[in-house]
Amino acid sequence: MDTVRILIVDDEKVIREGVARALSGRGYTVEKAESGERGIEMIKQSGFDIVLLDLMMPGIDGFAVLEWINEHEPQIQVIVVTGFATVSKAVSAMKQGAFDFVGKPFTPDYIRIVVERAVDKITLRAEAEKLREERSLSLNTIQQEQSRLKTVFGCMAEAVLITDPEGVVVLHNPAAIKLLEIQTDPVVGKPFSESISDNVALQMIEEAMSKGVVVTQEFKPGSISRRYLRAHCSPVVSSSGVVLGSVTTYEDVSTNKEIDRMKSDFVAMVAHELKSPLASIEQMIYALQVDCKYEALHSCNKLHSRMTVRTKDLLRLIDNLLNLSKLESGTVVFNLEATRGHDIIKDIVEVAAPQAEARNIEVKYTPCEDEWWFNVDYDHIRTAIMNIVSNAIKYTPDGGSVDVSASLSGGFANLVFSDSGIGISQEDLPHIFDRFYRVKGKATRHITGSGLGLSLVKEVVEAHQGYIDVRSSPDQGTTFTMSFPIVEPVNAE
Amino acid sequence: MTDKKQILLVDDDPDFVEAVRVIVESGGYDVQVAYDGQEGLEAVAENKPDLIVLDVMMPVMNGHETCAKLKGDDATKEIPIILLTAVADRVTTSTYTHRDMLESEAEDYMPKPVEPQELLERIKSWL
Repeated sequence: MDTVRILIVDDEKVIREGVARALSGRGYTVEKAESGERGIEMIKQSGFDIVLLDLMMPGIDGFAVLEWINEHEPQIQVIVVTGFATVSKAVSAMKQGAFDFVGKPFTPDYIRIVVERAVDKITLRAEAEKLREERSLSLNTIQQEQSRLKTVFGCMAEAVLITDPEGVVVLHNPAAIKLLEIQTDPVVGKPFSESISDNVALQMIEEAMSKGVVVTQEFKPGSISRRYLRAHCSPVVSSSGVVLGSVTTYEDVSTNKEIDRMKSDFVAMVAHELKSPLASIEQMIYALQVDCKYEALHSCNKLHSRMTVRTKDLLRLIDNLLNLSKLESGTVVFNLEATRGHDIIKDIVEVAAPQAEARNIEVKYTPCEDEWWFNVDYDHIRTAIMNIVSNAIKYTPDGGSVDVSASLSGGFANLVFSDSGIGISQEDLPHIFDRFYRVKGKATRHITGSGLGLSLVKEVVEAHQGYIDVRSSPDQGTTFTMSFPIVEPVNAE
Repeated sequence: MTDKKQILLVDDDPDFVEAVRVIVESGGYDVQVAYDGQEGLEAVAENKPDLIVLDVMMPVMNGHETCAKLKGDDATKEIPIILLTAVADRVTTSTYTHRDMLESEAEDYMPKPVEPQELLERIKSWL
């Protein structure tokens, strides 16, 4: 323990000095008070472990100080210092809780012995206190640990089922009932096979216990659950090697399986989308080898130019695919800046004009009467809007029209792109934002595209907290609406 | 009418059709084209060809369906059919395998793209 602090309270200077001298050089901190009042004050200020207290003092006497200590600082050990003439008083002081007494006159050795005993008592008490604290702490911890384990066990998403060496279920968590769709009630106390009638599930437990190894098994939907489960069964073996039972966990891996399936579907789809144009290009190369021997030069030129177009399409498809994957993985950094809505649309309409004029399609732009700004990455948004405008032109027959307009409502800018094109059927409409989805039919036969454009547009629009919507009537036209949150204009110009 | 044999090409990719047309014409045949199974059937009804080169993966009506319709009709079942496909194509919506090919009633099948010499030899062998 820390340095023992001792206070001597006595009105006689000789006694104070004498006691202090007797206790000096023993590692105690010793202080002195010349009266009861001063003693109490010092105890209040600094706190002491032991008080050597004179009973007969003017002012507040020793008994009053003792009473005060008992009431306010009961852990202090009080040693009464008193003349032999007043031994009876010392005895009554001890009855009031003083630890011991020293009769005056005293030898320094005696004082030291009494003080050491008091110190021993304090040390013992502190140790006992510490032990008691530790004990209650560890009891508390064990209780907490148990309740924590119980909570964890109950909250686990994985099903856990514990059996004894005979395969009788001794414990399970709520997830086990839910995941394994157990109808038996209760499960505990009955053989595993009564609750789960699946040979593979039973065999894995038997194997784990008989061979003393962890057995892993996957269960397809419909065997022991409607979900796809992966189970691990571990034998529980005592330190002497006796098998005490088994613990089996069942984990729902349906989502993982679904992601796996989507991944391979996607790879198959990409492979197909890359392969078919390549097959056509290769076929055109073959044709060219034959053609140049038998046909006129212009036919060769036509094949050449188509091969160039298809190769470029293929490269663009790969670019789009990479962009889409970058957008989805979140690795694209958008440089958002407040942009004047009118500028960006006007520019796109102008750039698209020649493509439209070549096919006698009128592109009309009705700007919003109010100026509006939105917070966008200029390049990405320009590409996305361009994609919608050029789609509108692509899917509109010669001589048709494309109307672009902007309006504001409820803090959003609504951009509307309406064409008088071939339209999209009700069956195709829900899929047009799907990757690689292309509307196939007579009217779209000669229109090339990767089937990724609208997927990209949607990703970009949503990355800007915007929405995109589509309505369409076959043979009448299609209307795309994009909405973006508007922002305050930037004044610094 | 010319005495050249009539070949019908059915595939949904116009570039592919054009390329095969050039090859087949170089073999001295007359070529008709169609861009899906339905159009193919219409073309057959209008002008019965001597042989059909039919792609499997097509919108509206795929090659297998078209083939089954032609083989199920007494008027057209004698027309030899060469099915074209990338055999390894395994796409979610339509899975065609080598086995499907063998079970189909088509006289022959070739993977895409087709080599000119081989295509012309196969056509010749069925006429």
